[in-house]
Amino acid sequence: MKPIIAIAKATVGEAIRRRVLLIMLFIATILLFVAPLLGVLSQRSEQTVLTGFVLGIVQLSSAVIAITLTVYMLPNEVERRTIYTILSKPVQRYQFLLGKYLGAIAALGLMMGLMSCVTLVEFGIIQHNWGKGIELLQGIGMFFVQMSLLASVAMCLSTFIAPLVNFFLTGGIYLIGTLGYAFFDSFNKNPNAPGFSKALAWFVSTILPNFASYNVQNKLINPDSVIVDPVQYHINAVIYGVVYITIMLIGGMLIFDRREV
Amino acid sequence: MAHPSKSGIRKKLLSLGLCLVGFQALWGTYMVYPRWSRNYSPVQQGKDLISGSLSADQMLFALAGFRELIAGILWVRADSFFESGNYDAILPIIRLVTFLDPHQIDVYATGMWHIGYNFTDEEQRSDRRYLPSALALGKEGSSQNSNTYELFFETAWLWYHKIDDNYDRAVGWMEKADSVADIKLLPARRNLLSRLYERNGQIDKALDHWFTVLDAAEVSYQADKERRDYSIRQNRDTIENNLDNLLIRMSQRGHFASKEGRSLDDYDVMPPFDVGFGVKVTVTAERVLRIQGNWDVLSVGTRIRCILRDADYPNAIAGGAIWDAGSDMSFEPPRDQTYMMDSLFVRNQRFDKTVDMSRDPTMYPFTKEKYLLEFYYNPRSAPHHIQDKFGWNGEGMTDKTTTNIRTDIRPGQRCFYYAIELTRDEILLRKGSRGKTVTKKSDSYRETKEDYSNTDTGKPDLPGQGGQ
Repeated sequence: MKPIIAIAKATVGEAIRRRVLLIMLFIATILLFVAPLLGVLSQRSEQTVLTGFVLGIVQLSSAVIAITLTVYMLPNEVERRTIYTILSKPVQRYQFLLGKYLGAIAALGLMMGLMSCVTLVEFGIIQHNWGKGIELLQGIGMFFVQMSLLASVAMCLSTFIAPLVNFFLTGGIYLIGTLGYAFFDSFNKNPNAPGFSKALAWFVSTILPNFASYNVQNKLINPDSVIVDPVQYHINAVIYGVVYITIMLIGGMLIFDRREV
Repeated sequence: MAHPSKSGIRKKLLSLGLCLVGFQALWGTYMVYPRWSRNYSPVQQGKDLISGSLSADQMLFALAGFRELIAGILWVRADSFFESGNYDAILPIIRLVTFLDPHQIDVYATGMWHIGYNFTDEEQRSDRRYLPSALALGKEGSSQNSNTYELFFETAWLWYHKIDDNYDRAVGWMEKADSVADIKLLPARRNLLSRLYERNGQIDKALDHWFTVLDAAEVSYQADKERRDYSIRQNRDTIENNLDNLLIRMSQRGHFASKEGRSLDDYDVMPPFDVGFGVKVTVTAERVLRIQGNWDVLSVGTRIRCILRDADYPNAIAGGAIWDAGSDMSFEPPRDQTYMMDSLFVRNQRFDKTVDMSRDPTMYPFTKEKYLLEFYYNPRSAPHHIQDKFGWNGEGMTDKTTTNIRTDIRPGQRCFYYAIELTRDEILLRKGSRGKTVTKKSDSYRETKEDYSNTDTGKPDLPGQGGQ
């Protein structure tokens, strides 16, 4: 376990020193602060638009950070040959991969934590609505699970795919994985949808990770929505995420174990 | 004990991975998806979903997480289309906005009104083929926003005001609206339910509801001790006045006598009044009909519904249609079907109207071979002073041609109904009808040399001024 923790710590330090990530974080933070000005663009109440927009910024910027953070992690180590100095010590490859992954999500957690603080400040101090700010943390918490899942996908793919290709592939999987449930649901609820389309949508949404499971903004944006048993849903979704992350890491370990570096 | 070999560990990991793949598929399908679909799906409409008008690229918007913002911006954009009269461009925006943010109640309400009322021909007759779409939007919107009365009310209003028929539907929607707590914030809206019960022939229920809303209005009036809110007093007085009127009408139209099984001979509705209907239809040019006729009823407020439709128009019934019967809804009306509806305004016991459909070939495509020109009069839609004679159920109405008074087309009431068959060739003046004047008339039509086509001039046939 010690090697894993040591690698994770080093990865966190490395991640927070990367300028590209810091710039993304900076832009996201600025956007979060200017979000209240966008309320005038909507005919609905400003609070609704602000909530939707803030959650959107957090989700989108977290996704970009998660992908950028993880797609370069292993290839950079190989390219700079720093991996040799690590693997020459009593560190197994799976420990290296796990350490990298845990370090990545820890760094991601720090960045999302910062965005959560900005959100809290924005709603608490600027909007005088601490309750709403705290409520939003629940949604951001689910986004964190979503981003951890996304990072695991990118990490698994990074064991055998070049970073640029991986960036777009992971982005594509995120896109399909987010729409998968919506498409499947749309087909399911439409009595006129052809059976073949339904089956295909089911297959795709079953195989690919369902990122949409963590989009739980409904209640936060529209407080009048009636959500049945949200706690149980959150638990189920987190279990799903943990299982899928495990699958991705096992896949990554198996591939990375055989890869020549 | 020997350590397991590397390949052994790999096999075990692979097996574990495969097991987990199966597990996640089952867990996702049975433990996550159903709850997600019920609670968080952007497509919550379920069976009420309007299909066929949302493309995949539109769904992509939902991904970004800015649904409400994009919906707001789009709806602001739609304003400019309203101003420029570009109504077709508004439809996809309505669909997109309601998909992105299904809680925009005003978009649903405005969308229903827009679809139901704004698509008209050159003579301002609205395109009835859009009605199923407007109703479907109301159905979807109300199921998405069942915590407020608003879209139930709007849908009821569409049935009541625009369709003005099948009043059981309007009652059903209004009962739902009345059951949602926030309608009490605008108490006058509850009054509509009594009106609808009356239109639906549920007179006792109408009376009961007037009493219910009167009690509520009285409580509000007493609570407003300083009498600051004039609308509270006004609402109470209006309800009281309507209730008094209804009681008088129930008495004069023989409602109480009828319930007690007594004869109606001594009441206003007896003897039945002969409406003396007669009609002559002339195809004066291609797609242009001149409809002349006689109707011996006091003219003030009298309008006879006139429909020209495909003989096999889907879900059509005599004098109307079951507009919410279709299962597949989209914002695209059936372009190959024809449904024209207008009102014939009666003055001096005559009507004379020219219906010109030649300038709107997309609205009136005339692609079928056979058509029905229907004349329909429902006493329940009539104003009160006419109902005072005809009664709520048409018991005070008759016609020389007794077959024109139908008891089978609307349950529990006597309606006037007469239909003429026309062919495509007759309407388009083609083939055998080319160069001829196509005329069809009923036996009871009375010829006249007077011109009744201008409804704005001439003396009205009020009692004492030449009328009956």
